Amino acid sequence: MIALNSVTKKFGTFTAVDNITYRIEKGEYFALLGPNGAGKTTVLRMLLDFIKPTSGSITIDGIPVSNPEARKRVGYLAEHHMIPSHLSGLEYLRRHASLIGLAGKNALMEVDRLLDVVSMKGREKEKSAAYSKGMKQRIGLAAALLGRPKLLILDEPVTGLDPIGIRDVRKILESLRDNGVTVFLNSHLLSEVEKTCQTLAIMNNGKILVKDSIRSIIEDDETLEDVFIKYTQKGK
Amino acid sequence: MNSFLKITGYTIRDQMRHKSFYVLLGLSILFVLMIRGCYGGQYIVNGKQLDNITVAWYVSKIVFQVIASGMFLIVILLSMKIFSRDHEDGSLVLFLSRPVFRRQYILGRIAGTWFLCLVFMFILHATIFLTVWVKTGATIPGYLTASLVCSINLLFIAVSVCFLSLYLPDFISAVFTVGILFVGYISDGGHQILNSEILKTVVPSAAASPPALWRILYPKVYMVQAYADSIIGQSSFNNMGPLHPILNVSFFIILITTLMLVVFNKKEI
Repeated sequence: MIALNSVTKKFGTFTAVDNITYRIEKGEYFALLGPNGAGKTTVLRMLLDFIKPTSGSITIDGIPVSNPEARKRVGYLAEHHMIPSHLSGLEYLRRHASLIGLAGKNALMEVDRLLDVVSMKGREKEKSAAYSKGMKQRIGLAAALLGRPKLLILDEPVTGLDPIGIRDVRKILESLRDNGVTVFLNSHLLSEVEKTCQTLAIMNNGKILVKDSIRSIIEDDETLEDVFIKYTQKGK
Repeated sequence: MNSFLKITGYTIRDQMRHKSFYVLLGLSILFVLMIRGCYGGQYIVNGKQLDNITVAWYVSKIVFQVIASGMFLIVILLSMKIFSRDHEDGSLVLFLSRPVFRRQYILGRIAGTWFLCLVFMFILHATIFLTVWVKTGATIPGYLTASLVCSINLLFIAVSVCFLSLYLPDFISAVFTVGILFVGYISDGGHQILNSEILKTVVPSAAASPPALWRILYPKVYMVQAYADSIIGQSSFNNMGPLHPILNVSFFIILITTLMLVVFNKKEI
């Protein structure tokens, strides 16, 4: 589904991502972990073609990410999801629906369904300026789920959500996993990753330190936190 | 529907949501309507009283230029924040996380802003046209066509401001664009005055020297307005250089838009 091939990204002399190569298969629920500044967000931004790699190539479903076709069935949720303040949640979702080619009754039904899924029914006509951070995140998640994407790219999806919101998002993501949707998750919440993900990679200083299934990485007497610290503190 | 057209539509809708847009349009129409008082006055030139139609014709030509130039400021104000605002409010991520080419986003944003300004200017010019017709019963031939001709200047300004705003702060890019227009007005306006029939009659020895190459190649925004003015008056038009000003401005629009697409394609979001 996703293939990164010898990808390097430099900002001036600083190497944010250093020659990484990995694949994420269809239906895989993948988490990218790493301390702040490890290069996770840079990888994610390159996946969406927001920034170009200095060298190497990235494809989604075999299509280079520089081709917008690659984003046809991709949903994206940013860490601090922003919605133009003059738009209501409903208008925002309709714009997303229109841009992915959903129109007419289908779009209305899909938007309506997702408002229900993210528990925003009844608040959808309010301007987003009146939304809390968590509500914006919910609308952002609904936008990411529009058009039943094959791949979801989530950057800290539970940021700003209350415990109920976190539980709701987890349930949504689990149901997506069960339906074979590929999920690329960037998160600091190790407990959430441990509960939901199948595979993970730990990144530090722009390099992938380990990539494997959670079961293979975590030994019997360990938690994901132990593993995370073990890998990211190596050599310090 | 093509993403370009969708983004054009969103741009128009987003700009029209601002109350300030309607306040500005209302005030502009009010200003234009206030001009109608001039049509009924008594004007004596060289001992002869001018009829209402002649007065209306001259006043309308002057107001035409005032509106066309005033629109420069409005298009600058609407264009200068396109990228920075989209970046800040999440619109950029909204569009580019979807299957939308960057060129569709840029062209859609610019086309929407330009179309809105074109309609704004056309409404003001049409108000003048209708006022003259109602007050005097006469129509000004070519007035509305001239308005459409001037709209090419608005597109040039929109692409210039947007391009500069990729490198410079919004306000500086606006000031820079005003500077580009100002230099053009001085250069082309000077040429028009030196080649005018009045000056040649009053000072026959005042022969205009051929303009420098940079003046011929410079964006001919003023000359487009002069050409539009000649459409209204069906008068002669003193062009500078071999290239028609519409072609000159079109060339710059294409050049700047191409550069902007290349730069924006590499821009990190």
